[in-house]
Amino acid sequence: MLSVAKVYKAQLQVILMTMLLMGCASARIQQSRTATTGMTTEESLVILSRTSYNERETEESFTDCLSDALSGGRTPIRLMSEAEFKDQLYPWFEPRTAPDSSDDLARLFAQPGVQQRIDENNVRYIAWIDGDTITTDRGGSFSCTVSTVGGGCFGVTYWEEDASYEAAIWDLQNLTTAGEISADASGTSYIAGLVLPIPIMARPGNAACKALALQLKEFLQAEG
Amino acid sequence: MAVMKLLISLLTLGLTISCTTNVQVEGSVPTPLVAKIPANVAVYYDENFKTFVHTEELDTEGTWNINLGEKNLEFFRNLSNAMFSSVTEVDSPELTPEQQVQFDGLIIPTIDEYGFLTPKIGVLPFYSVSIRYQVLVLGKQNQRVAKYEVVGYGKSEGNSFTAGDAVGDATMLAIRDGGQQIAVELRHQPAIIEWLKQRNLD
Repeated sequence: MLSVAKVYKAQLQVILMTMLLMGCASARIQQSRTATTGMTTEESLVILSRTSYNERETEESFTDCLSDALSGGRTPIRLMSEAEFKDQLYPWFEPRTAPDSSDDLARLFAQPGVQQRIDENNVRYIAWIDGDTITTDRGGSFSCTVSTVGGGCFGVTYWEEDASYEAAIWDLQNLTTAGEISADASGTSYIAGLVLPIPIMARPGNAACKALALQLKEFLQAEG
Repeated sequence: MAVMKLLISLLTLGLTISCTTNVQVEGSVPTPLVAKIPANVAVYYDENFKTFVHTEELDTEGTWNINLGEKNLEFFRNLSNAMFSSVTEVDSPELTPEQQVQFDGLIIPTIDEYGFLTPKIGVLPFYSVSIRYQVLVLGKQNQRVAKYEVVGYGKSEGNSFTAGDAVGDATMLAIRDGGQQIAVELRHQPAIIEWLKQRNLD
């Protein structure tokens, strides 16, 4: 009887380990540089998300994660918040007026007060973030029940997510595009019901955020 | 018996409160970075504009009371001060003979329509708001110079627990969007250009 229990325990451990490994998400990064970069400690970066009027839009949680990762660590980057930047430069970075490409920067800087506001706030770079995380597949069966004699959860459910984000970096000093970085990650999350629900989350959006932040820091801080 | 009545009253009150969402619109009021239109204008805000509250009963989500009047007024006061050389608020939708001497024209912004969607009733997974504004521009003799209409749109992420905040945020974004169009585009309307020319203000 004891040996049967040991076998079940070992099998359970194998299943959990497999699910934990499969629950991980790793990110792929691609970078293209079109201009030299570098920033002093006084200069700032603004993270802006592209606003559209359709269903797909970069999640606020992603840009928050990116801001936290960039402003922390050993070599933090000075950030100006998106809300403050948009207020300071209202109405030129609203959904209808925001420049589509760095070619529009010269026209924008010709507007009264814009150049002065950028200079006052020492904003050197803008990173436009585009992309989102979507669920590509889901399946399994999972249910929880409660009765007078107790309750529990049984079954396994999973969902696969694909995170794909891109940062276009504009240099406001030279009015050019400095480069682009993209981060892609995918992963499968599980919830297994073994009386108690055991969630194993892949969080590909978080993996893409961390990878993009790391690459963005290197891109901006390394003279090159 | 009295305790039972009190409990029933409290339960009824609780149910009523839980089915009503009161939204007080809040947000920053940025000053537009635009060149001032060289005109000395009067601005009239009617009571509906100053105290605008949208009330709507949804089958699935109860009653919504969305109070945007205060923030909207603050936004437009700031907007008009940034757009024109000189702005004076007046309390009548027509210029008096004395005011006709003093001002180049009268600006009357109004809210024509407010609408909102929640993820439950809309096609998008967002809370979205649209506000239709009308800006009426009258000349010195109270003659109509231009009627300019814009629709401000805003959307915000949210869930059932933060629905009120999401609608409030989306409303603020819609006010900003409407304000942006007025700040940038009003001056380029042919009727406005003509009015400025006639008054030698361009």
